[in-house]
Amino acid sequence: MSKELAVATILKTGPGCSVQDLGRSGQANFGIPISGALDMKSFAWVNHILQNEKYNGVLEISQPGFQLQFDLPTCIAIAGAQATVRLNGDIIDGTPLISIKPKDVLEIGAFLSGARVYIGVRFGFKSPKILGSRSFYPGLTEEPYFSKGDKIKYFVDFQAANVLNAKVKLSTDWFENEEIFAYPGPDFHLLNENLKEKLLSEPFRISQQSNRMGAQLLELLENKLPELPTNPVFPGTVQLTSGGKLIILLKDAQVTGGYPRILYLEEESQWILAQKRPGNKIRFKLKEL
Amino acid sequence: MEINTQYIVISPVLGELKWDGIPDDAMLSKQLGWLDFLKKDWTEHIIEARQGFTSVSILWKNAEAQFNFQRQLKKIKIKAKELSSETWEIPVCYDSDYGPDLGSVALAHRLTVNQLIELHSSTTYRLHFFGFLPGFPYLNGLSDQIHTPRKSIPDRTVEAGSVAIGGRQTGIYPQESPGGWHVIGRSPIVLFDVNRTPPVWASPGDRLKFNPILPTEMEKLLETPPFPRKR
Repeated sequence: MSKELAVATILKTGPGCSVQDLGRSGQANFGIPISGALDMKSFAWVNHILQNEKYNGVLEISQPGFQLQFDLPTCIAIAGAQATVRLNGDIIDGTPLISIKPKDVLEIGAFLSGARVYIGVRFGFKSPKILGSRSFYPGLTEEPYFSKGDKIKYFVDFQAANVLNAKVKLSTDWFENEEIFAYPGPDFHLLNENLKEKLLSEPFRISQQSNRMGAQLLELLENKLPELPTNPVFPGTVQLTSGGKLIILLKDAQVTGGYPRILYLEEESQWILAQKRPGNKIRFKLKEL
Repeated sequence: MEINTQYIVISPVLGELKWDGIPDDAMLSKQLGWLDFLKKDWTEHIIEARQGFTSVSILWKNAEAQFNFQRQLKKIKIKAKELSSETWEIPVCYDSDYGPDLGSVALAHRLTVNQLIELHSSTTYRLHFFGFLPGFPYLNGLSDQIHTPRKSIPDRTVEAGSVAIGGRQTGIYPQESPGGWHVIGRSPIVLFDVNRTPPVWASPGDRLKFNPILPTEMEKLLETPPFPRKR
């Protein structure tokens, strides 16, 4: 059965809204980051309840004040950060699945907890595939992020509402946790006992200087570690700069870096971190192999 | 001399082959030998292998794959890969209009601008890997005389094509980006093109040589950015 394409138009957006999927792995040898959804748990859940393929494209929204108008019927699902969701001005609460009629306007308002909202649509959002992925990335895709007036394709689905089972919302308790679990990174041994103690006992807050490439922490860790040869880094690598800044690399991070790599976050902790907002506290807990 | 290879486990699915010492052709040959071997024998168990100057990191599909790899590690014998004999010629305009840090780098090393250009463009560099940005080549072989520590405060914008020095390395910015390296010139060539497969023209192990060009030629080449020629 061939599917009919429909178009959704972005009426309003803050900075940092994009389409994300599983990302582009296996191309780091060209210097290409993995990209993909920062909070893979919410991303996967949205595609799951829509009975989509697990690689389907989903919108990642990191600022309130997002409005999207759909031209034809479908069904959408929302997860991730808890935000005020409105459909044609009416608050939608309690259900993650929303039926869409022609010309419906979806609005994401204030964020109550969490940092990233994921909006999935039946069969996925169809932004162009570049090097095997629809994930936006500056310099690879036509645009680094969405701006007002942009259009995104999706497939019409008149039947979705009857096929899908409404479920209760995914609880957001899992990302309220302050504990971030991490393995010692390749350069952890360069830290002296005093620095290790500080790193693993004190709380750190997420700074405003955070984006899809990385989350910086406000508190500094003064150190005398050397500049090292440039070596591989991954989403989840925690770098310590000579100025004492801690940078937790996220999905759009460069593939190599020269700062000491002191920790490496466990995967679920990377998703938790993706839902932390500037000012939120985290505590590193060391995981032993 | 045989270079000793170590493997460290970082997480149940992430590990790293590492080598001690200063990166050189011998270390690169060894790394490329390992990368070929991983591609040949382990590719179905690996999500991604990433190369740096003194490490190759491996992200495994599951913990069992890494465990099996570790168990067989002692038996693995890797032949160093012979490095490529390709040399790419990269036109560069070393002019203060294109290389805003040309004067300050020369001054820092007590050189004239012409001596700095001569030192940078007379060397043939070895491409170790792409990193930092899609298509950013990390080049080894910079003359010790012009090693320059990275800027303590990175520039907000470095133009695409900028040829720059960072520590003991030199490289070319494929796209506009913030950057902490010292920009001494600009090349009009295309470094990365998503519409080509592969999107880069060089491979790790290739050599690059910078050829100084005049601003008039630069302006002409910028109208239709070329791909570089092999020598």
